[in-house]
Amino acid sequence: MLNEWLLNRARWLDSMAWSTDLHESLYMYAWVETTHVLTLTVFLGMLFIIDLRMLGLTFTGVPASKIADRLDIPMLIGMVIMVVTGFILYFAIPVRSTQSIWFRIKVVLMIAAIANAFLFRAKMKAAAGTWDLDPKPPKNIRVGAGLSLALWSGVVITGRTIAYDWFDCHKELPYFMYWAAGCVDEMAAFQ
Amino acid sequence: MDLLPFFEWLDTSILADIAKAYGGVFVVVQTFHLLALSLLGGTVLVGDLRLLGVVMKDVPSQVVIQNTQKWFSVALVILILSGLFQAAAVAMKLYYNEMFWAKMTGLAAGIVFVYAIRRPLLLRFDHDTINPWALRLIAVSSMTIWFTVAASGRWIGFS
Repeated sequence: MLNEWLLNRARWLDSMAWSTDLHESLYMYAWVETTHVLTLTVFLGMLFIIDLRMLGLTFTGVPASKIADRLDIPMLIGMVIMVVTGFILYFAIPVRSTQSIWFRIKVVLMIAAIANAFLFRAKMKAAAGTWDLDPKPPKNIRVGAGLSLALWSGVVITGRTIAYDWFDCHKELPYFMYWAAGCVDEMAAFQ
Repeated sequence: MDLLPFFEWLDTSILADIAKAYGGVFVVVQTFHLLALSLLGGTVLVGDLRLLGVVMKDVPSQVVIQNTQKWFSVALVILILSGLFQAAAVAMKLYYNEMFWAKMTGLAAGIVFVYAIRRPLLLRFDHDTINPWALRLIAVSSMTIWFTVAASGRWIGFS
């Protein structure tokens, strides 16, 4: 049901002239993708610094909340541009992206990473003043930072693997994989 | 100096065999390359934006540079090792790719700039004794060099 709905939306986007133009453009797609990767380094770079501080691995002489607070804006600027260019990249190749198992895992990991970021931030604010100056923050904060690094690394890995066709719908795959990737037509043929 | 013999060796090395035969290994290494690029980007940006007075204005710039230098070096080592592995898969193609050489030129300039100019100047001298315009020039040069390296690296795939 959800797979059909997602595929129909993707096909609708795919029918738009702009989508085809972008996909087939000589330079525009490359520029958008380059911007996506470069702003990924801005977003993730700031996140790395914040998480490394939370792990007690750098800036140990500077209060943890100060590092997180001061790098928030550049991190968010990177994130906004990264998300916008990410949507444009999806818009250029909507059907294949919708039916990519890697893209789907990436979206799930992104939701988990964002949820973790909110929980992490709440924990940080709740504990403000109690460990802010400690070179090594408490265990729950370090676990949150480690999880953040792992989840965003997962987002990068799955983002990179979207380009590979190992589990594309046109391949011979088990039914479960067709279902997980949303290969609606292949699932129907399987049955 | 012609580096063709090195690329010919790389093309037939065990690294090339692994990179060509195991797509999964190649992707994992490629991901580490991207993550290291992000870490390097983060350390460069935080340091340079601090020198420009854009971020972390209430933390001394010397402290920012001291804390980011180690992680910059860690990222650079991972970038070079993972980059070498990826290059092995398409060594001969890269040898004849202009964008690859643009990236390598930028990378060489970046390494010289960091270890011969930026690091000695910013770690050995009190930043209050350095002309503020010199600090700004270092920051802008640094961001320009590393932006060129990252952008030309991505463009290899499109050229």
